[in-house]
Amino acid sequence: MTLPLEGVRVADFTWVWAGPHCTLQLTHLGAEVIRVESASRTCVTRLLPPFADAQPGRNRSGYFNQYNQGKLSLALDLKHPEALAVARDLVVQCDIVCENFAAGVMTRMGLGYDVLRQQRPGLIMIALSGYGATGPESQFVSYGPAQVPLSGLSSLTGYADWPPMHVGISYGDPNGGAHGAVAVLAALLHRDATGEGQYIDLSQWETSIAVLGEGVLEQSLTGAQPARCGNRDPHMAPHGVFRCAGEQRWAAIAARDDADWRRLAALIDPTLVTDARFATLENRKANEDALETVVTSWTQTQAADAVVERLQAARIPASVAMSNKDLSEDPQLAASEFFVHHEHPEVGARLHLGIPWTMSDTPCHVRSAAPCLGQHTDDVLSRVLGYDAPHIAALHAAGVLA
Amino acid sequence: MSRSALEGLRVVECGELVSAAYATKLLADLGAEVIKVESPSGDAARRRGPYPGGVVDPESSGLYHYLNTNKRSVALDGASASGRAALAALARHADLLVHNLAPRDMAAHGLDYDALAADNPRLVLTSITPFGLDGPRRDWEATDLTLWNAGGIAYLNGGGPEAEDLPPLKPFGQQAAFQGGVNGAIASLGALRARQRSGRGQHVVVSIQQALAAILELTFEYWPYQGLIASRLGRKPIQPLDFLECRDGWVFICCVEEHQWHEFVRMIGEPEWAGIELFADRLSRGANWDALKIFLQEWASEQSVLEVYHAAQQRRIPFAPVSTMGDLLASDHLKARGFFATLDVPGARVAVPGAPYKFSTTPWAIRRPAPRLGQHTDEVLREVGVDA
Repeated sequence: MTLPLEGVRVADFTWVWAGPHCTLQLTHLGAEVIRVESASRTCVTRLLPPFADAQPGRNRSGYFNQYNQGKLSLALDLKHPEALAVARDLVVQCDIVCENFAAGVMTRMGLGYDVLRQQRPGLIMIALSGYGATGPESQFVSYGPAQVPLSGLSSLTGYADWPPMHVGISYGDPNGGAHGAVAVLAALLHRDATGEGQYIDLSQWETSIAVLGEGVLEQSLTGAQPARCGNRDPHMAPHGVFRCAGEQRWAAIAARDDADWRRLAALIDPTLVTDARFATLENRKANEDALETVVTSWTQTQAADAVVERLQAARIPASVAMSNKDLSEDPQLAASEFFVHHEHPEVGARLHLGIPWTMSDTPCHVRSAAPCLGQHTDDVLSRVLGYDAPHIAALHAAGVLA
Repeated sequence: MSRSALEGLRVVECGELVSAAYATKLLADLGAEVIKVESPSGDAARRRGPYPGGVVDPESSGLYHYLNTNKRSVALDGASASGRAALAALARHADLLVHNLAPRDMAAHGLDYDALAADNPRLVLTSITPFGLDGPRRDWEATDLTLWNAGGIAYLNGGGPEAEDLPPLKPFGQQAAFQGGVNGAIASLGALRARQRSGRGQHVVVSIQQALAAILELTFEYWPYQGLIASRLGRKPIQPLDFLECRDGWVFICCVEEHQWHEFVRMIGEPEWAGIELFADRLSRGANWDALKIFLQEWASEQSVLEVYHAAQQRRIPFAPVSTMGDLLASDHLKARGFFATLDVPGARVAVPGAPYKFSTTPWAIRRPAPRLGQHTDEVLREVGVDA
């Protein structure tokens, strides 16, 4: 069966996480994604742990190997004077260019959209940057961890009497990358219909604000932003993550309405069902500290899995706070074929996470492990660019393909 | 007159709260014609607020208005025979139907892919679900809080090594559902493109648990690569990468590269304490962060957030303000880019997040505000040949 993006080729000049996450989505849908990499500017994620068996190496990072599954790697040193011609030859054979250099860098390298579109009519190009391609701060430096506070999410997350908090991942990166994939796909459908390509300017800061609609609206509508309230929710109680038996084992529990609460109360202690302190949402919110003490006294003597099984049997939303180890052993993820075990030339078959959706008619699968740096250089130059062997050998000898 | 990217795409949404509504908002704002099917009591987002001046009114909920721009609303009872017939007629005329009904409720609402495809083989049906439609937990109850935990992200956040008693923590808002929505939009657009060649629609199923596990950054692979459990309790090996309180708010300082640290030290006038051996390199700054933070906090408390931010950025140090919502609305940069859009909510004209991406040829646009409950029921049902 023909995959959704079969026959679509992507020149991927991105690095770190946001850009590679965008092109990962296109890879999942069947596009041929060619990452342009260089040992003179190795992708940050190749240099970060975890490394297979704790032995560092640029092909051994679990971080890189997760977000570059299924892609090809072309080693090309863009600082080399002869590299520009190769890069342009590549773009001519591509439908989509993705990049996340600082604003203006591609243009200075001679790979700006205005130049490339002349050589490849109908080209779709997306630039993913921290601040966007225009505006007074467009030249500012953006790091993944700093995007979360910049976006506004940190000021809303955590506890009223604590400093603002992070969210545990550089959330602006995958969120920006996924929004970028939506944009590219819409532009592709437009090109299919009209032949017209276009340039897409994506600011991670702005895509991060797009998922904070409630926060912005509360400021706009009431003149104040929502107070930080930990795991609590204005419309549900109890609504928290409760300590269970064992070392750092926790269960998330949410009672959506009075009916959920009555069933939860029945499991904890039937006399609680008629306890006026907790009878209505209003009362549970007014007595939330006491409510959470009651729930914790019940959860802390039981295993987290047992708490969750019991609550789900009573149709109350609950989940173990899953660690990476828990996820790797999760029967639900295993049953849905989310796990990937492709053989990688240097690290062997390691457990990776696959595609979070399924399609009934054009099943998408992760087709191969992430590439070693430069693994597909000769293949891409001969098969895609049509270079002959002496040409490729000369480029190798000149140090262009490193 | 520029055309929209998704002009002519006909979408039906059966959405409650965020995930399906955000998926179709992304499409609607790029030009798709989206018909939102609501129950007679309306989308639950109408009951979440926030409301103008804090006064509860299901027609003026901020979350509802934000998520449902550019849509038309049809009110029908999906559990009744006439409601199911009307929904079937809408599906016959659609390219895409996106829903986030619980898997166990799908059949009762007529959301059976084989039956819908028999009537309209070109239809793409996208089901945004907590856990997918297979596996032992497909019918588990879920909310944003429980999914954020099921996807493994909560375990990474919520206080550090000094705060072991604090539980795993969710971020603000309904982030699990927003990620379900973005993934729903990606997969739906993919299936629509596949249809161009196959001529057939298909059933797309998104698992929000998987969508979250898929964005665990470098943490998941610590288990298969090194046999280590990642948690919120580990110390950061390198510093500074932390929050400091200034005289007018909070700033996030980030100077983990040696050249950034040296630039930062010059920026603050090379105080004597910066030369203490405990802070000699980024690993020792990580190991001795408790001490270093005391000096830095003392410095920061005299500063203004924006001055520190701009001074650092001029030296290519990636500091960021801890933006409040008010800061975002006042940002000169976001204003210059025209980021915030204006929306008329009954009783108020408000700023909302605008285009998440700028298209050179087919611009993102709000063409109409979110609909009132059932505002277009008669008009839309007439279009698909149903007597209302």
